Amino acid sequence: MPKLFLGIEEASVSFGQGEARVRALRDVSLTFEKGTLSLLMGPSGSGKTTLLSMLGCLLSPDKGTVFVDGEAVNELSEAGRTVIRQKKISFVFQAFRLFHSLSALDNVALGFEIRDAAASGREEMARDLLLQFGLADKLNLEPNELSPGEKQRVAIARALAGNPPILLADEPTASLDAEAGKNICKILRRQVDDQGRTVVVVSHDPRWEKFADRTITLCDGRVEEQVGVL
Amino acid sequence: MKLALQNILHDRGRFSVTVLGVSFAVFLMVFQGSLLSGFLQAASRLIDASDSDIWITARGVQAFEFGTALESRVREMAAGVPGVTDTSRVCMAFAVYRTPVGKQQVVALVGADPGVGRRFPVPDRLESAGEMSPDAVLYDVSDRKQIDVNELPAEVEINRHRASIEREIRGYGAFLGVPFLFTSYRNAVRYMDSGPEQGMYILLRVDQSYSISQVQQNLKQRLPEVDVLTQDEFAHKSRMYWTIKTGAGGAILTAAVLGFLIGLVVVSQTIYANTMENIEEYATLKALGASQAFVARIVLSQALICGMIGSVLGLLAVIPSINYAKSLIPWIHAPWWLPGAMVVPSLAMCSLASIVSVRSALTVEPGRVFRA
Ligand SMILES: Nc1ncnc2c1ncn2[C@@H]1O[C@H](COP(=O)(O)OP(=O)(O)O)[C@@H](O)[C@H]1O
Ligand SMILES: [Mg+2]
Repeated sequence: MPKLFLGIEEASVSFGQGEARVRALRDVSLTFEKGTLSLLMGPSGSGKTTLLSMLGCLLSPDKGTVFVDGEAVNELSEAGRTVIRQKKISFVFQAFRLFHSLSALDNVALGFEIRDAAASGREEMARDLLLQFGLADKLNLEPNELSPGEKQRVAIARALAGNPPILLADEPTASLDAEAGKNICKILRRQVDDQGRTVVVVSHDPRWEKFADRTITLCDGRVEEQVGVL
Repeated sequence: MKLALQNILHDRGRFSVTVLGVSFAVFLMVFQGSLLSGFLQAASRLIDASDSDIWITARGVQAFEFGTALESRVREMAAGVPGVTDTSRVCMAFAVYRTPVGKQQVVALVGADPGVGRRFPVPDRLESAGEMSPDAVLYDVSDRKQIDVNELPAEVEINRHRASIEREIRGYGAFLGVPFLFTSYRNAVRYMDSGPEQGMYILLRVDQSYSISQVQQNLKQRLPEVDVLTQDEFAHKSRMYWTIKTGAGGAILTAAVLGFLIGLVVVSQTIYANTMENIEEYATLKALGASQAFVARIVLSQALICGMIGSVLGLLAVIPSINYAKSLIPWIHAPWWLPGAMVVPSLAMCSLASIVSVRSALTVEPGRVFRA
């Protein structure tokens, strides 16, 4: 069997002990093909975020294996998983999580700095990315001066700094109005079509379905349904 | 490290407290350091001003200011020890001084033979003495108010003897609180009404072909009832007496340490508060792949930037303050390297103060980025 690009095998995660124990994921196996956009749906508490955290090397399963770019990462040390995140994975959050004291440009430039501290021309690269997302006149604004849609575009630019092959987004449009949300859907879709990135989006938003290659529905820590190409 | 700088600029209120804490610490450390340095210098100033190799004092004399008379045979016996080329006498006693207008004042009168050394303030030895009678009396500029003479020379009284104040000198201010007057040994014993053969200190010069410690050993054997010290030993003993035995040095140092501790607490509290306020951002940094070193550097940079600004402000405040203090505390003295050197403990303080904050930033779970 060829090594998985991105996926989990027989992974279980639980939180807490004894009576309070919550089984967030139960023996889940999933693969995410390179260059696809997968949508993770399911009711609140079904384990979507837990799954995304595992794929993002932010959480190790109690048992099972996590693959990132063909490498089993669940046995790596914290430092080892940090390096995987630095080189290969980026995140987009519902709450944007921009650095409040930095301008849009500096937020993205910091994304470059984290991925490659020695890289020169970080500001130019950051500017290019922001121009692509229609933020030419917002470069020097700070997060609190931006609209939610603009913040999310800056956050995506920061996530794309350094060109990571994998992008994981948790409810990226939940804080946005319809117009801004659709814009984000298109931007992430373009990352798959134009750049060949692998994108996993967690969302309740049914609008995502037509942008996704596949929709996975979780329920009670298990895969309930998979629709679309694998 | 733009993030560190921008975080500071965005939390100006809190970080100005940090900067103030550092300035305060630097101010106190430099000021107290100057007090201590000046105090140490003043405690052995007259001993250091002599050119002798060996000092003989009465047994148990702790400091220059507290000598007692030696028998005259001590000087004769010392002069007979091989290697001793020159003996001079120095005495010190408190005396009653009467200003030209009749006000009375206690003074410390110091008399010395011409042979004590060219930096020692005696009339016929002082390099700048010019035309001055050997019985002239000198005073330090810092005591001008208490000496209270309008023009020189001035006729005054010392212990009811007529005396002539002839010169104002610089750099011999003391911390006893009473003015020092300097004159020839011969003249001083006259004012003190003691026999001319007595001395409080016998200062010896040793021939270069002899080892000083050998001569010192020899003297100790022949003069078992007195203390025989090299000049450095007596200077050291005097400094230790004034700083350690009186507790003055401890008091000065305590204030400096207190400055350091208060700075430490202020800096650590403010840095910690800012770090906790931004803890979610440190989690984001780590989720995005920032290494532990990267995260630690940001927190530490914030502390060190404040440390640098605070140090500069502290120095800008303390240097004029020390200059001003000279009018009240004439012996205060900041060695040239002291202000610069205090930047080191101040930056060390900032690093120390950020340990807890660095730890918090390092231990925050990157996994929390999807919660909250
Ligand atoms: N760190 C945690 N500690 C305790 N329980 C957790 C933690 N993270 C998730 N859970 C629990 O695991 C289950 C799945 O959570 P999550 O993956 O966040 O679901 P979803 O994202 O689908 O809403 C929930 O019952 C949640 O309460
Ligand atoms: Mg969730």
